[in-house]
Amino acid sequence: MIDLDPLWLTAKLAFITTLILLLMAIPLCYWLAYSRFRFKAVIEAIISLPLVLPPSVLGFYLLIAFSPENAFGKFLSDYFDLRLVFTFQGLILASVLYSLPFMVNPILSGLKNLPTTLQEASFTLGKSRFSTILKIILPNIRPSLLTGIIMTFAHTVGEFGVVLMVGGSIPKETKVVSIAIYEEVESMNYDNANVYAGILFVFSFSILLAVHLINNKRKTALY
Amino acid sequence: MNTLNGNITSIQSYEGISLVKVKSNDTIFTSIVLDTPETASYLETGHSVKIIFKETEVIISKDFSPNISIQNRLQCTIESIKKGVLLSQISLNFGETVIESIITTNACEQLQLEKKDAVMALIKTNEVSLSPND
Amino acid sequence: MLQTADGKLPLDVSFTIEKGQFLAIYGNSGTGKTTLLRILAGLTQAEKTHIEVANEVWDNSQNKIHLSVQNRSIGFVFQDYALFPNLTVKENLEFALQKNDNTQIVSELIELMELQSLQNSKPQNLSGGQKQRVALARAIVRKPKILLLDEPLSALDDEMRFKLQDYILKIHQKYQLTTVMITHSIPEIFKLSDKVIILDKGKILKEGTPSEVFSEEKISSKFKLTGEIISITKSDIIYIIQVFSGNNIIKVVATENEIKDFKIGQKVLVASKAFNPIIQVLS
Repeated sequence: MIDLDPLWLTAKLAFITTLILLLMAIPLCYWLAYSRFRFKAVIEAIISLPLVLPPSVLGFYLLIAFSPENAFGKFLSDYFDLRLVFTFQGLILASVLYSLPFMVNPILSGLKNLPTTLQEASFTLGKSRFSTILKIILPNIRPSLLTGIIMTFAHTVGEFGVVLMVGGSIPKETKVVSIAIYEEVESMNYDNANVYAGILFVFSFSILLAVHLINNKRKTALY
Repeated sequence: MNTLNGNITSIQSYEGISLVKVKSNDTIFTSIVLDTPETASYLETGHSVKIIFKETEVIISKDFSPNISIQNRLQCTIESIKKGVLLSQISLNFGETVIESIITTNACEQLQLEKKDAVMALIKTNEVSLSPND
Repeated sequence: MLQTADGKLPLDVSFTIEKGQFLAIYGNSGTGKTTLLRILAGLTQAEKTHIEVANEVWDNSQNKIHLSVQNRSIGFVFQDYALFPNLTVKENLEFALQKNDNTQIVSELIELMELQSLQNSKPQNLSGGQKQRVALARAIVRKPKILLLDEPLSALDDEMRFKLQDYILKIHQKYQLTTVMITHSIPEIFKLSDKVIILDKGKILKEGTPSEVFSEEKISSKFKLTGEIISITKSDIIYIIQVFSGNNIIKVVATENEIKDFKIGQKVLVASKAFNPIIQVLS
């Protein structure tokens, strides 16, 4: 019988990462879509970096940065008693950075496709920026939000390299499903690896199917 | 559209209507307009104006002093005739300029109009428009 | 500064509108009409401005006063209508209500603009003219002092245009608005506005009543209309030119010499002496 802890840990990690990214990405994307900041392209490039970098590169740098032997890690450990190497918290931070483009890109493109006059019309009707975002902008980019949420969740479930570098494989702390599969294979337990892999396979497929169904349905409903 | 340049020589107005005399090529044209010097600033003696009338409003006469009501009478010679099936276009030398007349081909043949013929071009007063040269 | 096809152009205008007036802004594209409207609305900030509405300063660059869009008593109708796709017609109107506003105005406007049967539809199911009526109604919900219309009727066919002009006039009068409208249509200006400003390259070219501005005495003829050439056909030795003016097609005879200057799509003035046309009562 397989150990269920990695499954539970993976779900927890993906859920928390998605929630943090959603709350972060909305204001970030709004700012990127509407501000006339000169170095916007630089920021957009940095956000997209995890798409092209090997996960081990990001993991390596995070490991160095989080290490208590270096300034940043020491600072966190001294002042906040926060250790990020080989801990669940560290895993969350790494996942947030690694999955950032999967949340930001759909939301940003949704915002850019929205006519700017919608926001302006709301302003001329006396509505504040906050209430405009809440009642007009977000409801009109719902498909983009859904895509962002699902893609981020799925991507976090599927990550391996960053997790291995930053988290290692501590049971109930950092050993997620993808790591568990790797370890089962290493110890020649192909049956267990097969169960984990099968669960991830079915999960990922259902998620992608859901995204496409939602997007197709939205298109016919909206336009 | 026939256009000639001229200068206003006299204006007679009554109840919003003016009878304007304009001199062009030593010929006096008369035009009647629904304006007076009070409503249109160009209506003053000496003002340079364009005299405008449509080709189809130009009547041709071989008789040089017809006893008819038409006031604008221009001495012309026929420069060329372009005959169509129903209509004909006649180009007339009037002083330095050329004016055109469009009449029916039937009328053209009845009058036996030929190139170089001397004719009188007639235009009714109410067919002449004026446009100020500013 | 205006960003135009010819590079940057300063927008330099100054004018006054009386309360209750209907002002039309006319001019080619790229002359700053929309920018001007947006500055009035507070959607665009200009370098040097002074905007005062009924003794209340909306913009003054010298004293660093810039009233936010939300705090200006305006209704703005956008060229693309900008209806909220996630809300029904009625909800679009209700969205404009402020706290403690009487909701009566929404049903009043729905009735006035004849939107009863559409009130539960989403904007994407409406025709252009219907969307325009909703946008107009929504702009009035706050009972603004000033109604700003950015070429509201340009995308509509003629029949729709005429109907909507009547709606605009009805609203302008009923709610005693001061209205500023951008338009390309001279007949529209004559029908709706008391005053017109012609903008050219960021400057006011002419200002006055529509008849002062447009009825230049270029020709003494009293029977005049403007239109667009839609066809030129040869008949015998003459040419027949069809001109589309307002809602009618008229035919004018021209000679071969004249048609050299004419081409299809050209704007022309058709004139005749007032003595010629025959006038009859329509039964």
